[in-house]
Amino acid sequence: MIVRPVRSADLPALIDLARSTGAGLTTLPANEARLAHRVGWAEKAFRGEAERADADYLFVLEDDAGKVVGISAVAGAVGLREPWYNYRVGLTVSASQELNIHRQVPTLFMANDMTGNSELCSLFLRADHRSGFNGRLLSKARFLFIAEFRQLFGDKVIAEMRGMSDDHGRSPFWESLGRHFFKMEFSQADYLTGVGNKAFIAELMPKFPLYTCFLSESARAVIGRVHPDTEPALAMLKAEGFSYQGYVDIFDAGPAIEAETGKIRAVRDSQNLVLAIGTPGDDAEPFLVHNRKCEDCRITAAPARVAAGTLVVDSQTAKRLRLWAGDQVRAVPLAAHG
Amino acid sequence: MLVMRPAQMADLADVQRLAADSPVGVTSLPDDAGRLGDKIAASEASFAAEVSFNGEESYFFVLEDTASGRLVGCSGIVASAGYSEPFYSFRNETFVHNSRELKIHNKIHVLSLCHDLTGNSLLTSFYVERPLVGGVFAELNSRGRLLFMAGHPERFADAVVVEIVGHSDENGDSPFWDAVGRNFFDMTYAEAERLCGLKSRTFLAELMPHYPIYVPLLSDEAQEAMGQVHPRAQITFDILMREGFETDHYIDIFDGGPTLHARTSGIRSIAQSRLEPVTIGEADSAGRQYLVCNGQLQDFRAIVADLDWVPGKPVILSAEAAEILGVGEGGSVRLVAV
Repeated sequence: MIVRPVRSADLPALIDLARSTGAGLTTLPANEARLAHRVGWAEKAFRGEAERADADYLFVLEDDAGKVVGISAVAGAVGLREPWYNYRVGLTVSASQELNIHRQVPTLFMANDMTGNSELCSLFLRADHRSGFNGRLLSKARFLFIAEFRQLFGDKVIAEMRGMSDDHGRSPFWESLGRHFFKMEFSQADYLTGVGNKAFIAELMPKFPLYTCFLSESARAVIGRVHPDTEPALAMLKAEGFSYQGYVDIFDAGPAIEAETGKIRAVRDSQNLVLAIGTPGDDAEPFLVHNRKCEDCRITAAPARVAAGTLVVDSQTAKRLRLWAGDQVRAVPLAAHG
Repeated sequence: MLVMRPAQMADLADVQRLAADSPVGVTSLPDDAGRLGDKIAASEASFAAEVSFNGEESYFFVLEDTASGRLVGCSGIVASAGYSEPFYSFRNETFVHNSRELKIHNKIHVLSLCHDLTGNSLLTSFYVERPLVGGVFAELNSRGRLLFMAGHPERFADAVVVEIVGHSDENGDSPFWDAVGRNFFDMTYAEAERLCGLKSRTFLAELMPHYPIYVPLLSDEAQEAMGQVHPRAQITFDILMREGFETDHYIDIFDGGPTLHARTSGIRSIAQSRLEPVTIGEADSAGRQYLVCNGQLQDFRAIVADLDWVPGKPVILSAEAAEILGVGEGGSVRLVAV
């Protein structure tokens, strides 16, 4: 398995992938023109021809037979072209000692606070490949890329996690709030967001702070909560140093988690080493390894051992990276506790 | 004969009897001897004060049956709403959320807490015994105040407001309160109104939500209650609507009842009232019913009289009416048709 930049030749495979995601992955709509456009921009970004505001580093996970089985992406910056909206979950206290009243009402404030941050997005792995290192490789490869090309990214990295919805794709938060301002289904709003209409939709959303006591109980219950399918992804990012700081998605109230770029475990702990080919040994732990290239970026996960400034991997791993012994690599243990 | 006159401290017990029968929500008539005593004292001081522009004065009138000496109604005017503390209302506002691209054009109704009506004169404390409801003496009890204002314009503001008690059910629960205020207080509508009467409305108003409230998020019952009049306040509402008061712009922050407002000079009983010389005698035949008052302060009196009056001619009053009003031959009265 290898993570590498997307190419236009991957387009048919991407459309297949998008069709299999269902609602919820807003940044990968099954829209051919939109996907082709996105791939074009990604190619520009990897060539270094896009400004940070437009840079969309879209990676694919490819198996040894050359088949694309997953994607992940990181955006250079959000909100620099169109406003980027979140609700900040704040608190209003209504209190009077004399009347013996103390009420706390969580309150949603619409904010553009995430503007300029880099964003992890579009993570999707085919169901039949969710095993071994694949999921972690696909997600965490982005951190090695960020570490290597730190100047291309913001001071913070965020990730908007999919919020709660039922089996029919209905979001209780949307039903209680967005529905009143749109007269459209959540899946439709979700689709429009995915094809780049987020700002238009935000224009229709309430701009004043919202007292959550005016929302339904089921809507209040899902603020800041992720969809059960997203729990593993949330746990993995938390282990890397991401945390929930009270920002949520304006449509489904899923949490927007964040981390200072330099403090993400896989960024902070990654190191430049010289590749050595040999036998990592039975007790070798899995590493993420990056060939330190941008347009020709290749990242894989494999058992490895650090020894005297070298990273010892087997020959198969070197072959996947298209590297020789003595070449430079960036590497970090795959697991956070490593 | 029923006559309207300023309240005196000797009226306290009788006034409390009236207050006890007034509906929950008329917080200006608390069933509390201490508060009512303060109210009468403030009124006596106000009638006695030399005033060149409206300030902290409040005027409290009673309707007395001269035959029995019994009180059958009362009403009041606060010269400046919110003189010593802010006067809160919800302003009805409309925001248009428009997206040309998505072909959505939504008018969103919002309630904004405001102090717009601060400084306006305020009609309060209206109560008549039930047999008088709908009759000419209810008109006297309400509009007598307007005649007083017409005779002493320097004591009042350029605009007048009235808070009409809103809808509450037979248990004393207000759907508007339950949907809005209750979230911030955790007490029933009746408890809140009782506190308002005992402390002050501002005391509670300061705990109300300060950000605008999106009406579509409120329960259907609460939305229906907005601008709805309590059955027992219908009489006040009807009389003042005929006087040219406007509704729809403001509602009460607790029960959602309508807050009426009007330019003082445009109020019918003020604009159409005439100051005319008096002749004592027997009218030839009963003509029309008029509200008639003198131009006094502490000795202010207003009655209903059958007059055969022709504009431009003196008003012929019976000796009894003249005595009650305290006017003699050659004096003058202010009058307006019922």
